[in-house]
Amino acid sequence: MAGAEAGEAMDSSSPSASSGGDGTLMDDFSNSLFQCCVCLDLLYKPIVLACGHISCFWCVHKAMHGLRASHCAICRQPYNHFPSICELLHFLLLKLEPAAYKRREKEVLEEEKRLDVYSPQFVDHLISERVHSGEIEKNDRLKANKREASKELTFQENRLENGICKQISMKDILCFLCKELLYQPVVLNCGHVFCESCLSSVVGDPLKCQVCQSLHPGEFPNICLDLDHFLEEQFPREYVMRRENVLLRKVQHRHGDLSSSVSHTDKQSTKSSCHVPEDDQWLTEDLSNVHVGVGCDSCGMYPIIGKRYKCKDCREAIGFDLCEACYNTSSKLPGRFNQQHTPDHKFELDDTQLLYRILMLRAMPEEDPQQDVAEADLPDDDQQDHANHDDVPEGNQNEDQFL
Amino acid sequence: MSSSTGLPSSGVGGGGGNGDGGWVQPFPSKTSVQTLGKRIQKEMLELNADPPAGCSAGPKGDNLFHWVSTMIGPQGSPYEGGIFFLDIVFPQNYPFRPPQVTFKTRIFHCNVDSTGNLNLDILKDGWSPALTISNVLLTIKAIITNPDPYKPLVSSIACLYLTDRAKHDEIAAEWTMRFAR
Repeated sequence: MAGAEAGEAMDSSSPSASSGGDGTLMDDFSNSLFQCCVCLDLLYKPIVLACGHISCFWCVHKAMHGLRASHCAICRQPYNHFPSICELLHFLLLKLEPAAYKRREKEVLEEEKRLDVYSPQFVDHLISERVHSGEIEKNDRLKANKREASKELTFQENRLENGICKQISMKDILCFLCKELLYQPVVLNCGHVFCESCLSSVVGDPLKCQVCQSLHPGEFPNICLDLDHFLEEQFPREYVMRRENVLLRKVQHRHGDLSSSVSHTDKQSTKSSCHVPEDDQWLTEDLSNVHVGVGCDSCGMYPIIGKRYKCKDCREAIGFDLCEACYNTSSKLPGRFNQQHTPDHKFELDDTQLLYRILMLRAMPEEDPQQDVAEADLPDDDQQDHANHDDVPEGNQNEDQFL
Repeated sequence: MSSSTGLPSSGVGGGGGNGDGGWVQPFPSKTSVQTLGKRIQKEMLELNADPPAGCSAGPKGDNLFHWVSTMIGPQGSPYEGGIFFLDIVFPQNYPFRPPQVTFKTRIFHCNVDSTGNLNLDILKDGWSPALTISNVLLTIKAIITNPDPYKPLVSSIACLYLTDRAKHDEIAAEWTMRFAR
């Protein structure tokens, strides 16, 4: 982008003057439900927080606190885990607003290339998952091809004639459990979407995703209201049917066996009470074992509290790290930033970003003989000590930002 | 994954020596000005289309990250009739860090000190990336009308506000006449 152009876009108050983006300052997407509250643009690689609010992958990640619990930008509900992208929403948006979504993809990729950190890319991931869950891949491929071919022609017309209904089929927004249209959708930390009623029938604490088997940290998630409103708008008839069904089932459930069945509200309250100690821990625990600005690539815990395992073989600058729990369960998930991590990579304990260590290094001058003692105590090799020295100013910077 | 808030950190990977130095930069390159400035530009459009009553704001010169705002003293307050200028400076990692807002016009107010600094929760720890300048201006307007003497920047004014409201309002109106016209 030429400097003149950028300057032009800046000082002009008229939207058309932004030469770079073809007037992208004007919303080129029609559904305001899917505007990210942080970048005020179309959601890109959407993440649904446990409170039900949606934001872009990078908007969530950049807004997270590297030292303490993070808070939802909208409702300020605290959370400790960086959730995975909601693939269902991702592909829904791609269908819904192909032009705007592609534009976002291009912009974000440009930025990612500049920073050399990438968000998850998931074309392959999706296909493999679909095969896994028993869907026919061929059918899907065909459909995709057809869609691709017809998109250019039909999209504009469809949009003009009868909104966007034709673009989205029910298949795109099914609950993973009941295989029906999502009703009051909730999204787990792993990004999978279920009806609230379906998920609340799943027993187990902590809550486990029925698709990917990963555990959902924290409380029972809230309904994603933006998606719910969208479903109600797009499929009014089916939505009403689903609502009646769910209500009916609830009533039957209540009449059936009052004593043994746990009603939904009860369940929610027990769930939340189960996790109170965990939340308390985050509040009261001293911060000495916090790894500043380091997150677990499996469960998303950010910052990692406790032991941090760092992959020795991942070459990406962002690194691949696991918390103790995920290290012990030998996670098979890919990295959160598209790292090419494979199971044969080796891990090592790493405490270079540990808060107490950063504070200690900061408190003591480099020449201080005591520092060597302190470092000798820690299980680091020489190389890492070099890295540490590099880290010091960076760590201090972080420090200043956080405090 | 490991990164600092805002920009991905360089040190954690043990490297930091990335060729183009694109990790932690004091000033972002042209392309990132575009992506960073985009949100500010969007806010500008929205603000122009639907500004909060009695407020206006826009870039100062051709620097998108430095705005000036004017606020008309709210009716019914001792600041009525005054026009107050505010300076808004956006950090490079806006909206993940709050904008810095300072009064350029002197104002007799317990939450604004003599250099124009504002004591406002949402501009500090209470900031959320979902807040916009429009929200901020509305909040400032609200605090001008209803000062918060329990979180003062100038304790003498807060004291006066609590003990002798009439005298406080008199001085505030006088200052408004003197400085904000």
